[in-house]
Amino acid sequence: MSHEGHLLLLIALMPFVGALVPGLMIRAGRTTCAIATATPTALALTMLLVLAPGVMQGEMVQAELDWLPQLGLSASFFLDGLGLLFAGMILGVGLLITLYARFYLSNDDPMGQFYTYLLLFQGAMLGIVLSDNILLLLVFWELTSLSSFLLIGYWKHLPEGRQGARMALTVTGAGGLAMIGGMLILGNIVGSYNLTDILQAGDLIRASDWYMPALILILLGAFTKSAQFPFHFWLPHAMAAPTPVSAYLHSATMVKAGVFLMARMWPALAGTDAWFYIVATTGLVTMVVGAAIALFKDDLKALLAFSTVSHLGLLTMLLGFGTEAAAVAAIFHIINHLTFKAALFMTAGIVDHETHTRDIKRLGGLRHLMPITFLIGTVAALSMAGIPLLNGFVSKEMMLEEASHTDWLGSHNLVPIFATLGALLSAAYSFRFIVHVFLGPVRDDYPHTPHDPPFGMWAAPALLVVMVIVIGLAPFLADAIVTVAANAVTGADLHPHLKIWHGVTPALWMSVIATIGGAVLLSVHAPLDRIWIALPRPDAKVIFDHLIAAVVAACRWITETTHNGAISRYLAIFTVASVFLAWIAYSSSGLSAPTRDLLPVPVVIAVGWLMLVVATVSVVFMHHHRFRALVLIGVIGLSISAVFAYLSAPDLALTQISVETVTIMLLLLALHFMPQVTPKESPAWLKLRDGVIAGAAGLGVGGLSYAFMMRDIDTISQFHIDNSYEGGGGTNVVNVILVDFRGYDTYGEIIVLGIAGLVIFALMRALLDGPAARRLRQTVYDYDRSSDRHPLMMVVVTRVVMPIAILVGVYIFLRGHNQPGGGFVAGLVVAIALLMQYMASGFAWTQQRQRIEYHTMIGLGVVIAGLTGAGSWLFARPFLTSDYTYIHIPPIEEFELATAMLFDLGVFMTVLGAVMLMLFSLSRIARFAGETVNVEPMDYDPGEHAEDVAER
Amino acid sequence: MMHWIILPVVLPAMLAPIIGFVMRYDITLARVASLAGTAVLLAVAIGLLVLAADGETHVYRLGNWPAPFGIVLVLDRLSALMVLLTAILALIVLLHAIATEWDDRGLHFHALFQFQLMGICGAFLTGDIFNLFVFFEVLLIASYGLMIHSGGRERLQAGLQYVVMNLAGSTLFLFALGTLYASTGTLNIADLALRIPEIPQEEASLVRVASMLLIIVFAVKAALFPVQFWLPGTYANAPAPVAALFAIMTKVGAYAIIRVHTVSFGPGVGSTEDVGAILLYPAAIITIAIGALGVLGARRLMPLIAFSVVGSMGTLLVAVSAFSPLATTAALYYLVHSTFATACLFLLADLVVTRRSGDLLKAQPPTVQNGLFAALFFAAAIAMAGMPPLSGFLGKLLVLDALRDPGVIPWVWTAILVGSLFTIVGFARAGSTLFWKSTALDIPEDGVAVTRQASAAEIAPTVATIAILALLAVFAGTVANYLEATTLQLFDRAGYISAVLGLPVEG
Amino acid sequence: MTLANTPKTWRSAEMELIIASAIAVLTAGGVYLILRLRTFPVILGLALLSYAVNVFLFSSGRLAIDMSPTLSKYGDGTYSDPLPQALVLTAIVISFGMTAVLVMLALGAFLEAEEDRIDIVADEDAEAPAEDPRS
Repeated sequence: MSHEGHLLLLIALMPFVGALVPGLMIRAGRTTCAIATATPTALALTMLLVLAPGVMQGEMVQAELDWLPQLGLSASFFLDGLGLLFAGMILGVGLLITLYARFYLSNDDPMGQFYTYLLLFQGAMLGIVLSDNILLLLVFWELTSLSSFLLIGYWKHLPEGRQGARMALTVTGAGGLAMIGGMLILGNIVGSYNLTDILQAGDLIRASDWYMPALILILLGAFTKSAQFPFHFWLPHAMAAPTPVSAYLHSATMVKAGVFLMARMWPALAGTDAWFYIVATTGLVTMVVGAAIALFKDDLKALLAFSTVSHLGLLTMLLGFGTEAAAVAAIFHIINHLTFKAALFMTAGIVDHETHTRDIKRLGGLRHLMPITFLIGTVAALSMAGIPLLNGFVSKEMMLEEASHTDWLGSHNLVPIFATLGALLSAAYSFRFIVHVFLGPVRDDYPHTPHDPPFGMWAAPALLVVMVIVIGLAPFLADAIVTVAANAVTGADLHPHLKIWHGVTPALWMSVIATIGGAVLLSVHAPLDRIWIALPRPDAKVIFDHLIAAVVAACRWITETTHNGAISRYLAIFTVASVFLAWIAYSSSGLSAPTRDLLPVPVVIAVGWLMLVVATVSVVFMHHHRFRALVLIGVIGLSISAVFAYLSAPDLALTQISVETVTIMLLLLALHFMPQVTPKESPAWLKLRDGVIAGAAGLGVGGLSYAFMMRDIDTISQFHIDNSYEGGGGTNVVNVILVDFRGYDTYGEIIVLGIAGLVIFALMRALLDGPAARRLRQTVYDYDRSSDRHPLMMVVVTRVVMPIAILVGVYIFLRGHNQPGGGFVAGLVVAIALLMQYMASGFAWTQQRQRIEYHTMIGLGVVIAGLTGAGSWLFARPFLTSDYTYIHIPPIEEFELATAMLFDLGVFMTVLGAVMLMLFSLSRIARFAGETVNVEPMDYDPGEHAEDVAER
Repeated sequence: MMHWIILPVVLPAMLAPIIGFVMRYDITLARVASLAGTAVLLAVAIGLLVLAADGETHVYRLGNWPAPFGIVLVLDRLSALMVLLTAILALIVLLHAIATEWDDRGLHFHALFQFQLMGICGAFLTGDIFNLFVFFEVLLIASYGLMIHSGGRERLQAGLQYVVMNLAGSTLFLFALGTLYASTGTLNIADLALRIPEIPQEEASLVRVASMLLIIVFAVKAALFPVQFWLPGTYANAPAPVAALFAIMTKVGAYAIIRVHTVSFGPGVGSTEDVGAILLYPAAIITIAIGALGVLGARRLMPLIAFSVVGSMGTLLVAVSAFSPLATTAALYYLVHSTFATACLFLLADLVVTRRSGDLLKAQPPTVQNGLFAALFFAAAIAMAGMPPLSGFLGKLLVLDALRDPGVIPWVWTAILVGSLFTIVGFARAGSTLFWKSTALDIPEDGVAVTRQASAAEIAPTVATIAILALLAVFAGTVANYLEATTLQLFDRAGYISAVLGLPVEG
Repeated sequence: MTLANTPKTWRSAEMELIIASAIAVLTAGGVYLILRLRTFPVILGLALLSYAVNVFLFSSGRLAIDMSPTLSKYGDGTYSDPLPQALVLTAIVISFGMTAVLVMLALGAFLEAEEDRIDIVADEDAEAPAEDPRS
């Protein structure tokens, strides 16, 4: 990268770096802060001036850094005539604004913040005009929207500020997003996001089918930013910002970004009818409408805002003409408008600052009280009116000249007439600015008696006004810069000569008409104003607010009706979607031919099936009686385990039946605290709908299983059968799969159980610490309960059974590897035995006799399983690699001791611990519910020590 | 033998029980252990990323059984990336939860947190689809616990819905797996990739159903229309740090789609390659719309954020639905971005909401650090809405740029761009009400509004997420390079198959 | 592995159809119940669904009689597919843990809210209009 390149990068970077400064320097005082802010800007400007000569020679400075090559986004900048002009304006005015703001802002405004925002904006704006990559340009483009949002909302306590900020962000943001689309399309057409490449490819672009979409989307961005009709309405409301901001963003720089973009894209997009009619027409309309409204605005800043809209329209129109001369005029007017409009905004700021009002109707006669301000304001306003010997005149002449020979849909006069009208109105409101503010008699009812501000405050506008006069008298001084800029826009090699006198041309007459007409118009302003006020006219803000409000209301309605917390409907949608989509996937292909002969149906299965179906149907119809429903669920579970047993799945049968028992027990205990009946509240149509959905789901799933049960495929499980004994050391293939082939699944599975225990315990504690506890204490059972909750018979039985049950558990555990069984079932069996104890003898009694605490049991289980798995690391084997050996303990059949069994032990403990912890939590709730323990000597009062045991 | 690969699972799985069962009455000890564990996890994750950077597909055969008969863990660039993402997020969220003492408002926070990490890492690393189910369940049941952490009426009711919805999802998962096994006879992702192409295109109904059902299952996790309904209620009612951690949970769903429906079901597999997009493409677009409408229509801050998450998932999945390397790279970048953007918003929301009376979007006397919170919110909103200079903008551009097929442009671009407009406006309204309008109210004398100052430790995690988003933008090129390589590896199905099954596969 | 083909008898009603229909009935019942408005029926519905899915998963290994996958020295060496059985076992255990949590959570929600509706009705606080957009 060239030396200039580095300099260019520095320029682009400087404001962002500088943005950090004010925040810190503000502690050093306001003046210091202002100086600190000015420094980076000044530095950048100096560097720009260093590069300027080369650019004036027609060279182009470029700099590129890779950023996101995959996207074609690179941090590449270039400086040509157009960029130079705008960069100069941005930095130059930036300096003046910094100075002006130092005196404008009051002591209770956070100045550091202001300057930081200002520099951020400056950086973003600079980025736009220097970017050599349209994606990078988009980045900066959006950044200007954001920083202007912050600056408009700077006085955050004022509603106008907040609303204006949001409105600006909404409108320019929308435009920005449209522009993203347009730029991406442009990139797709050209095959590069590099601006310099795109500017070369104008013909390709204009020939493409995607030209119109790209053009419209990009223009949307430009028009919103440059406040073109009908997107102009945000700009006046942006005037809620401090005046320095209005002067900087909303007259000199940001609103020109749109114009800049149109100028920048000129070689790529201009030159078609579409371009002419869209851009020129929009500009023309905007120019006239803006000027008309400006004439009747009483708020000084509003007047200036609409005049800005009008002048932006003028610029847009000129670029829309698409001729090189028009481009020259546009460039020149950009400079002129900058000088007089910035000066005028600062004047308005001074007036506001001094008189504490911006209402023209309350002003007048200020020329005596603040002569300097009067001088500055008048010269600037006259320039805006297009009075000879001021720069506004020259560029306006050029504009009228171009307008005078522009046809619109074949009509020769339309454009000239409207252009003149625009100029006329513009002259009128300019005169009004002078006459109604400064001339006339001195009033005695100013909110605050004004006088000229300190030098620091009028220095900036004064400097600008000097430029107004100089350029006005010697336009040729601007020749050079206008030339390079215009050439950069048009890509042609023009040598315009800016001069005051073009001879007696149609433009001159139009100009004369405009000026005189303007004066006349002002003389009848009072009656016109009354008519204007009387006339019904749309207030853009009201419309906008109602629009937004309506959209928000709609969004809220849609969101809250769809996400209304009705999970039953979510589930319905979920089911329907699943069935429907599955059907789509299914029906778009076919099935292979059935390969399996189907099995006969023995009577026992038929009976089991009947039980199951009847039970299920009755659950559906009788689920309102919750206890009955539970019993039926139990029946279903049993018949299923019977089916498993018959269909060669003994392990499943065993597990199913034991899980069944525990689940039902827990459900019973929980139901104990819940309503015993479900109210019948579903309307018939709902039942019908759900019935249909349920039927569809059932058919779908059933059909699916039937479909594949009739077809054979090769599965990987032959390997498991072949290797179960040699590799896994067990003959019960299912168990070997569980603890060895897929032990990792089981590892996850017991962790699920462990977590379940934790969650339940934590939940119980949260409940008992909360309001629920109080309610529990007031529980009144809505059904009569057995007076003797621990029947002696049951107590005796369970206690006799207990050791047996444990023995059985151990047995099941040990044989698990070779016969149906295993740690899980064993754990459940023991758990069930304990559950029985609880039911029979009350929790405390059982609690007393239980040695290991449940948390610890779960923890140990999980850790043991984990360590077993990790143990194989010692032998440089992967996690959960098993090893085994055989031992023989009479009378139990020979069984082998595999590391897998240690793993299974972990399973056993986790299961037991988890189940018991769930039970313990339930019993705690039970005791809050005031369940007393009967006083039979056999039972203990489950006092505090029960908890102690539990929580130790 | 590379035991590293399983550490992200075993480490938290060993730590959690110890925290939960030994240290459960000593919060300080639990905090130290949990932090240490997460830090080590991060170190391991970085190590794995370095390991995976060599472009190899590393396979870890559990129980020393060959695939597809045993379960294997597979470490490639993608899984390494996801694990690293998890670890970073986890550390940030954990610091926040400790600093704000969320972890002490209920039992077993740290144990559940570690189990949660175990589940997530397990899901990212496994190469077996049934094992994926198991780890889904692990991370889900842990998330149930975290979701209802510290209880409260709304939270329990929302938690109940969350559980029910996911139980339904898990059931569908099993139906899908049954169908899959019945039609292919295997469970290993690579083996599926090997066997499914062998199924004649006209006899593929069953496996197509399996593929579709799996998409729906994963869509539930990824909050895709029409199964996104659960997310706003859940995220809005979960403890904010937990919601921040959940930022990675939706990504688990997205990851599963990317992994399974790229490797096992195509592209390139005639019989199933089209199934993925059938639901994904239209649903993602609708999801973007739902998110946008929700953000603009929200009355409360937490739902607003939750809906912005929905929208971001839509953007992510619309990119996925193209199943092209270019779009997948974009999707992955957006995935990383949206993970931290989501976390950032929820962490910040926690700082703000706990300092005002609830999250209703109306002006209340400003908090002590109103300016700071406003700035952070501005940054976070920018990130989520996809505005420069943070990574959201680049992510959005990548997605838009990747989906440039003339057929999809009108739909996808409109959805994403209009969606971002709604999001921007929604956040602007919320922010100006919360932080600007509040300054108009004067603080009552009785000092009600004098809120507790947030300590540096409480703010640091939020700032950290924003810093990450910024770095993600600055080093976008570097990140994208890794992601490009990731995508290439992902789409190299043959390479994956041969690496996992240990057999040479041509083409 | 190719499963053994047993000689076909009694084609009128076949085991596969029995099982498929059982799955269908269970699923339908389960779905119907999870669409109810109270937590308890939803719990029951999920229980039914887990039965259904367990049988479904089991049936994905095809059906076989008297071929339990326990290696024996005498058997003809053909066994029913053990893998789905293992998967079902895992599924059963997991759904057991899930059900337990669900039950406790339902209980907790009931105690906190003093009602067991599963749908959440927005509380009046949320009904309070949010900010006037024009501010």
